[in-house]
Amino acid sequence: MKNKYAIIVENVSKSFKLVYDKPFTLKERLVFWNKKNTRVGKHEVLKNVSLKIKPGETVALIGVNGSGKSTLLKLMTKIIYPTEGKITINGKLTSLLELGAGFHPDFTGRENIYFNASIFGLTAAEIDKRVGDIIEFSELGNFIDNPVRTYSSGMYMRLAFSVAINVDAEILLIDEILAVGDQHFQEKCFAKLQELKKSGKTIVIVSHALSSIKELCDRAVWIYNGEIKMDGQTEKVVEEYLKVCV
Amino acid sequence: MMKELLNNLYAYRQLLKSNVQKEIRGKYKGSFLGVLWSFVNPLLMTLVYAIVFPLILKDTEPHYITYLVIAILPWNYFTTVISQGTTTILGNGGILKKVYFPREIFPISVNLSGVINFLISCLVMCLFLIFSGIGFSWVIIFFPFIVLLQFIIQQAIIFITSAVDVYVRDAEYIINFFVSMLFYATPILYSADMFAGSSIEWLIKINPIAIIINAYRDIFYYQTIPDMQMLGIVLLIGILLFYIGLKVFRKLEKGFAEEL
Repeated sequence: MKNKYAIIVENVSKSFKLVYDKPFTLKERLVFWNKKNTRVGKHEVLKNVSLKIKPGETVALIGVNGSGKSTLLKLMTKIIYPTEGKITINGKLTSLLELGAGFHPDFTGRENIYFNASIFGLTAAEIDKRVGDIIEFSELGNFIDNPVRTYSSGMYMRLAFSVAINVDAEILLIDEILAVGDQHFQEKCFAKLQELKKSGKTIVIVSHALSSIKELCDRAVWIYNGEIKMDGQTEKVVEEYLKVCV
Repeated sequence: MMKELLNNLYAYRQLLKSNVQKEIRGKYKGSFLGVLWSFVNPLLMTLVYAIVFPLILKDTEPHYITYLVIAILPWNYFTTVISQGTTTILGNGGILKKVYFPREIFPISVNLSGVINFLISCLVMCLFLIFSGIGFSWVIIFFPFIVLLQFIIQQAIIFITSAVDVYVRDAEYIINFFVSMLFYATPILYSADMFAGSSIEWLIKINPIAIIINAYRDIFYYQTIPDMQMLGIVLLIGILLFYIGLKVFRKLEKGFAEEL
């Protein structure tokens, strides 16, 4: 491995503007330019968070709703940027924050595989190689050549998950999507994640499914109110976390 | 910064390609003529001007309709790219909030799909040149250079406007107003000479779009070598503007997901 760490989060703080009445137009910006402070508040979601994740680690982020787990994931994918601090990513990264982002309802499942995978930065040749695996994994069969708008929500999710999981990134960020599809498909996803873990991928996962986390992850990070409360072996962190929660 | 841009475009070339296809195919989805509209529209516009303006202007150019087509097609390319480009980030907000990929893909694919449409519509222009008897001269070898120049300038503009529009949504209306004003400050319906000696002559002289349109006319209609000195200056301005545009875009893109 070239780099000692796959993900380095250094003293990252993130605050969002709390806008009570958002000035969208030029007129409002001009009229209210000096009253800005009274109209805009600040909500600090992450406070001076530092975290280092080694290549091949499987890390769970746990914590109650609103503690900043998803914000941290979004920062790692570069969808949003930290207010302070720095995040370094070493390796190709794929995020599964929201399944089926960018699916076009009128396109067929197959066309959407190409479009969706290209968003993850794959070339046509690379997608050609994977398209068989993706279709097989999704278990959509002949439906793959029907427009996506005709799919049931389960089929939609299965397709989206299959694309995302087959793009072969070195770092995988997953937000609460273990609960895709029926029991059978969930188990299949879980097995796939185990397989990815064995093949040395770095996985960061946000989830409330503590039992699956315990099985999958070696390390857990408990985030509370925008700060890291505990970082260590999954068993121990989950145990402490449950003590507070219950 | 340029290296980063090129690396991004190379890595995400498939996305760029499918996005350009989507822009071209998706635009006329559901219409009977489909992509043909990108010829028909400027042709209809030309037809209207060709009927009205000879009545207003006392003496027009001999092959007035060909004269018009040569200017209207690049102008149409310009306005389409500017108006679509300005709203492209806003329009794709849904996906920008969910997945990371280089954000510049959107403004660039608007410009690319525009240039493809423009080049296809140039075939129609060729028909006009043939049937009017004007024909072609060797000076059309300057054509790729002029197109590239127009491409750079438009890209620079929409880098800035697409990013600013996310923060201040009036941008698109202001831009549209400026574009329709610019139409009159650009010699499309008439020749630039008509303004010689008037108080707004300078406006046409410094208007880079006017310089570009004049260059198209020079190579196709008058069949002379375009004003290389002016084009050189426009190229320098274009490159500088492109650099500034990219810098502005890079600065503003960090807040896209939060502002959308």
